Order: sequence, then C-alpha cells, then structure tokens
Amino acid sequence: MRTPWHDMWGCGRGPAGRLAPQTRILAGAILFAAGLTSPAGTVPGIALAAATTLGWITACGMPRRAARSFVFLGLAMFLPYFLLVPVLMKGRAFAPDWAGLARVIAAPWDVFLHGLAGMLVAAATVTALSASDLRRGLLALPVPRVVAAVLIQIVHQTAELLAETGRVAAALAVRGASGGGRAALRVLTSLPRVWLPRIIGRADRVAAAMEIRGYAETDLRVLGRSTIGLADFAVVIAVLGLLVLAAALRWRWIG
Amino acid sequence: MNGERALVFDGVTVRYEPDAAPVLAGVTFSLAAGERAALVGLNGSGKTTLLMAAVGLVGHEGRILVCGTPVARRTAAAVRDKVGFLFNVPEDQLLFPKVIEDAAFGPLRRGEERTEAYRRAGAVLDDLGVGELAEWPLHHLSHGQKQRVALAGALVTRPPLLLLDEPSAGLDPPGKMALARLLGGLGAAMLVATHDLKFAERLCRRFIVLDGGRILHDGGDAAAVQRTWGMEE
Repeated sequence: MRTPWHDMWGCGRGPAGRLAPQTRILAGAILFAAGLTSPAGTVPGIALAAATTLGWITACGMPRRAARSFVFLGLAMFLPYFLLVPVLMKGRAFAPDWAGLARVIAAPWDVFLHGLAGMLVAAATVTALSASDLRRGLLALPVPRVVAAVLIQIVHQTAELLAETGRVAAALAVRGASGGGRAALRVLTSLPRVWLPRIIGRADRVAAAMEIRGYAETDLRVLGRSTIGLADFAVVIAVLGLLVLAAALRWRWIG
Repeated sequence: MNGERALVFDGVTVRYEPDAAPVLAGVTFSLAAGERAALVGLNGSGKTTLLMAAVGLVGHEGRILVCGTPVARRTAAAVRDKVGFLFNVPEDQLLFPKVIEDAAFGPLRRGEERTEAYRRAGAVLDDLGVGELAEWPLHHLSHGQKQRVALAGALVTRPPLLLLDEPSAGLDPPGKMALARLLGGLGAAMLVATHDLKFAERLCRRFIVLDGGRILHDGGDAAAVQRTWGMEE
C-alpha cells in the first residue's frame, strides 16, 4: 500500500537537493527558527518570514501540489485562532477602536504567521530529504546516536504504520463502519482496541528484528557518509544571517 | 565446523509466563551442518517460538547450541552472527528505507568494504529475482517482493544456519520454485517453518512435526505429516 505522506520524502527537485543532507537539515532548522523569531507585528518581520519561507520552498523544489496542501492544512489549523477575537473584544467599547482591534488581533496573527511559516519550512525540508538522506544527515550532525537511530526508524516505520492503519480502516469500512448508524459507531469505537494491539505487536517484532540484525550496536555510518563543500558552508552562513536578522528585528537591535 | 551440529535442541521447554502451560515442552532434535529440515505443524503448535528460542529471543529451559555455541544472553551476539533469520512478516525485519541498503546491512556491519557489500547484496537480490528493485524505497514493494528482500538480508552474509519462518508465504508459484532451488543450492543448514508442504518437500528431506509444543514426528516421511494433519488421501 502506497502512502502519499511517505512519498513526500525527497520528492523535491530544487537546488537544495545538491547540498549535503546535514546542510539541508541544519538549514531547514535554522530557517524554521528564523521564521518563528521574525516579529509578526512589523512589516519587515512579516516580509522576512514570508521571504525565508517562499525562498526555502523554492530552493527545495517542493511540488506545487504538496505546497498547496500544506497551505490549506495551515489555514485550517491556524485561522480558527481568529475566532477568539470577538471573545477578546468583549467588554471593549462598541465604537470601532482600531488600535484596540490591532492589539486583540496581534495574538492570533502571531500564531497564524509563525505556525504557517514553520509548517511550510518543515514540509519543504522533508521534500528535500529522502529517508536515506535523513539518516546520513542526522548521523553527520552532533545528534546523540540513539536519538538519530530512533528518529530514523520512526520515519521508516511510519510508512508501514500508515499502511497498517489503511488496512484497519479498509476492514472497518467493509464491516460496516461506513454504513452509518449504530454499527458504524460500534466498529469505530473498537478501533483503538483493534489498532493499538496490532501496533504494539508490530513494535515488539521490529525490536526483535533489530536485535537479531544487530541494528542497535552498529554504527549506521557504515551505510555511507556524506561530505560537505564550500556551498554547504555558504548556505549555513547565509541562513544564520537570516536568523540574526530576524532576532535583530524582534529585539530591535536595528531600525 | 568440523562436523559439529549446526543446531541442537536438548530438552528445551519454553513458557511465556512462569505458571502457564509450556509453548515448547521438552523439545529434542539436532540438525547436522548443511542439513535441511522442514518444521511443520498447525497454527499455534510452537514453530515460531522454536525459531525465536534458537536465537535467544525467548527464554528457555534446557540446552540450545548453534554451531557449538550455547544460546544464552551473553552469547546472543555470537549466536546471531551465525544465523540468517527470516521473520514470518517481512516488514518487521526491513529496517532501511531502500532495498539495497537493507540487503547490504549485514555485510557492512561485519566490516566488509562498502563497494563489495553492495555488490554482494545486489547479487543476492538478483538471485532472488528482485535485482531491478535495488534502488526502490521499500514501501513501494508488494508483500512478495518484501519477502524476497528480507530473505536477501538473511542470505547475504552466507550464515551456516538459516532459520526461516514461512519463506514461501506471499510468493507466486514460479517464485516458490526459484526460492526452493536457490535455498537448496546454498549448502547451509536450515530449519524451515512452513505450512506449504509442496515447498517443504521440494526443499527438505526431513520433516519435524510439532503439535502442542511437542515433536510428534521427526523423519523423512512427508506422508506422515499429512497423516498427522488428517490430510491423507
């Protein structure tokens, strides 16, 4: 069973793909931080968050369809915060008070801008990294080996878990979960009892396989290392510059 | 191996809970180097547990030797280096995102040079009929293809003992025949847990029938297996 989420990994065809995997991970993380640091209440801050996000999406060559999906997901996740505005306005004067309105909107706007920018940067980074790149990149960064190994397996096993979930969902549909009414409710409420034991059993068996194959005690760098060049240094310095700029705008070191 | 047995089970009992009924009860048999035996039995008869016990994945009473090494917690790594193990669900043992990476992991972890490890892994994948999938992500493969890739990972280090749980499951008929031919030509000792009697007969001359955790029959008579299952014509 193919899972669209897993096909996202490494589907980008942008120039960032030519960088070493560790550079792509690092640059994605720094740009994520830059997006979060940019002040959402000033035009330069908004412009910087937008520019870093769009620039990284382009550099990663994120497919348009994926970008569109994530924008819609971001809108669905972060726009509802604006529903809090009437609650926050309660008790204020009925007459329009633009300064007051701006103050009330500032909080949901902050969440919206930073959430959307962070989500898009993270998704773009995923499209610039295949699962193998992720392994090589993580192992080249100063990430504890156990953490790296667990992260790598989480990403790898996600495809199988999604497929497993798909099979459970298909079985539920066949057995009446999509038929509506009480039968559907009964089958749906049994989902945790069906799905969880399967996943736990699977985790047990994967752990046994890891033990037999010597996964835990092997330095996974034997599968291949990546080298870094001048372009990698240049990119890291450039994105660090953007992070410093975002910090300068936020804490008013400039302007 | 100087004529030593590839696998020895001597009065082996396995229980999952201290007071529970044993899943394996006093199992005794041995496999000579290069000998191939089919392990057959109904669902729940203890086949998978027996294979797991042989690599120390479940605790046991009694004595198990793999190529002369006793199976115990402290010897687990040494034992597993001598064994190629195939789980009955291939997805469980595929730990890398790309086919060739998974198949080459065994030789690489034993310190083999990268180019040589990848060449050998590619050759085994070719033998199993999935060589053209070497660069594919694993999640794009069918069940049968995953089965072959998992087998490649078990075979690539040429271990002296193979413990295979349902190796023919999910394979098409030509794939089963090719697999039986390939395994038959390896020269390794192997214990093949299977419900596929035709496959077992093609590959093995010895049949060990498990029933309720005990050995019911151990010999070269395939018809005896059918008799114990009440399947004789």
